[in-house]
Amino acid sequence: MRFLALASRHRVVIILGLTLIISALVVPGYFSASTLGLGLDRAATIGLIAIGLTVLLIAGQIDLSGGAVFALAGIVSVILQREIGILPAAIVGILAGMLAGAINGALVVGLKVNSLVLTLATMLIFRSLAHWITNSQPVSGADIMLSLALAKIYLDVFTIRSALFIILIVLLHVWLTRTIPGRNVFAVGSNPAAAKESGIASDRIVFLGFVFAGTLAGLAGVLQSLVTNTGSPVFGSELTVAVIAAVVVGGTRLGGGRGSALGTLGGVLTIGSLTIAMEFQSVPAYVQQVVSGLILILLVVLDRAVTTKGRAPGTRPALVRDNPITQGGNT
Amino acid sequence: MTDAAMEISGVTPDRFTRGSRLVDALSKAGLAFAILAVMLYGSFVSPAFFTSGNLLNVLTSMSIVGIVVVGMTFVLVVGGLADLSVPATIACGAILSLGLQPMIGPLPAFVLAVGLAGLIGLLNGVLVGYVGINPIIATLGIGTIGLGIVQAAVGGVIVYGSNPASAEFAKGRLFGIPVVVLIFLLIALIGHFVLSRSFWGRWTLATGGNYSAAEASAVPVQAVKAGAFVITALASGISGGLLGLTLQSARPLIGAGYEFSAITAVVVGGVSIIGGFGSVPRAIAGLIFVQLLTNVMVLGGVRTPIQGFVLGILIVGAVGMDAALRKRGVA
Repeated sequence: MRFLALASRHRVVIILGLTLIISALVVPGYFSASTLGLGLDRAATIGLIAIGLTVLLIAGQIDLSGGAVFALAGIVSVILQREIGILPAAIVGILAGMLAGAINGALVVGLKVNSLVLTLATMLIFRSLAHWITNSQPVSGADIMLSLALAKIYLDVFTIRSALFIILIVLLHVWLTRTIPGRNVFAVGSNPAAAKESGIASDRIVFLGFVFAGTLAGLAGVLQSLVTNTGSPVFGSELTVAVIAAVVVGGTRLGGGRGSALGTLGGVLTIGSLTIAMEFQSVPAYVQQVVSGLILILLVVLDRAVTTKGRAPGTRPALVRDNPITQGGNT
Repeated sequence: MTDAAMEISGVTPDRFTRGSRLVDALSKAGLAFAILAVMLYGSFVSPAFFTSGNLLNVLTSMSIVGIVVVGMTFVLVVGGLADLSVPATIACGAILSLGLQPMIGPLPAFVLAVGLAGLIGLLNGVLVGYVGINPIIATLGIGTIGLGIVQAAVGGVIVYGSNPASAEFAKGRLFGIPVVVLIFLLIALIGHFVLSRSFWGRWTLATGGNYSAAEASAVPVQAVKAGAFVITALASGISGGLLGLTLQSARPLIGAGYEFSAITAVVVGGVSIIGGFGSVPRAIAGLIFVQLLTNVMVLGGVRTPIQGFVLGILIVGAVGMDAALRKRGVA
């Protein structure tokens, strides 16, 4: 058990190391700058959504609608290109993501409903909206040259998207560890009642957390649509499990109150390099899904095994009964 | 049925239902009123609504979802939030019961398919009940893995039936009623009996109503919780098998969306999302309402995405109302 606890604490390093070794064995020239850059670019999509989810999970909530918001924001930004120009359309796309997050947040805080169940419902709503707007057909953008510019690799490694991801994750790290609002997020996640007693506006933090997560999912969706010059209502449906897996690999606990930006960076890089390695071996998409599902389940079980250690039998916190309406996720 | 439900919840420490008989009666009347309203509206909108052909179609498609709904009721009542692995278990039932026909014959293939679906449910149950993982995360992960394995097993292609006799049976009628409907009614009756009259049902309601109190009263809470997921998986396996036999073809994504239809029906029927309250007839009333509404929308020419949109809104509304009413019940 002590070994498990140790392994759990340093798991990002262990898992990322193992993944890199395996990838290097499978993919020739894996550590060349161009392959790494490609991997980073692929990981950036998952990464941007994961940044938002990290904050939400630390605050004790979860957002399952990220993949749907991703698709919706991308579609909005592509459809409006011809009407109002590319940059304004992209901004409106990100705003659409922000609005979706605000809806999630307002409903969770206002109705005091479990965020898992609520975002499950809004996921269905946003996904249906995406199908509704596009008539279930992919839509294409106005300027194909822009996607080439966005896919360009700078300094041998970074695309605009991956650079943005790295910058944001560093900012998030600073915000979470060095600022008072950042510390408050941890307080709300580990004990909402105590946080409220200490004068922290829990509801406001939760609401803003959802807005933040929605905005980031929207940003990721807009970037994806600009890079591929396409908006599709089926984009992002496989992202939900991958994103949650990435964040959980990074050591963020589903129960709230624990997590870190750098851990999420490690988790995202792990999922990214796994994807690249599997695609290089032409592993079918459904096997890749099995792998991300397995990683998720194994790590959540590991977390559980470590956190229940040391409690007398029978005093295990009841799973769903612990005030499930007001709190969001419980591990 | 309702008296029985009240009796049973009288056995459990019902901090939710006490003093809310008025609310209970109102919600029941509301549901009946809603069903009548939809029927009335349907008969205005389309002359095709009250034809026996249309109603029989509704009944048949309702039966396939209905079998899942019976299982999902147990998951919600036991406090298991929701089972998101339903698409995987339905695909497992449909693909295997068709794919294995040439090898071992139609009936053994069906039984094996349902059995393997049950195995997926057992995995869910162990993770949720014994390990203590959040049900939505666990079933999301296991569902992803299960669906991936089923797809890998058949190479990601569509499977076709090879036994006309079994197709005849599944599409056939007994006393003028489709066989699928009869199977649904049988399963619903068994489910209702188990939940409202048997020791297992009492344990399920007790575990969902107050986990710690049930545990202290020597209810095998972990097994009861796990059992709900096994029941749902078996039910979805049967539902998937029947779906495969009627369609005589099964794609890996055949079960997509069924989890939402089932969850919507159960929560619209007034089964509490936080557990401890609910019955099979309530869930089926919710199912009838949702199915009739969908049918009216189809007849009225409303496009599919909008139907998903409406389902999502219904879930949000029902869950929000549940949270509001339960709180009043406590006070």
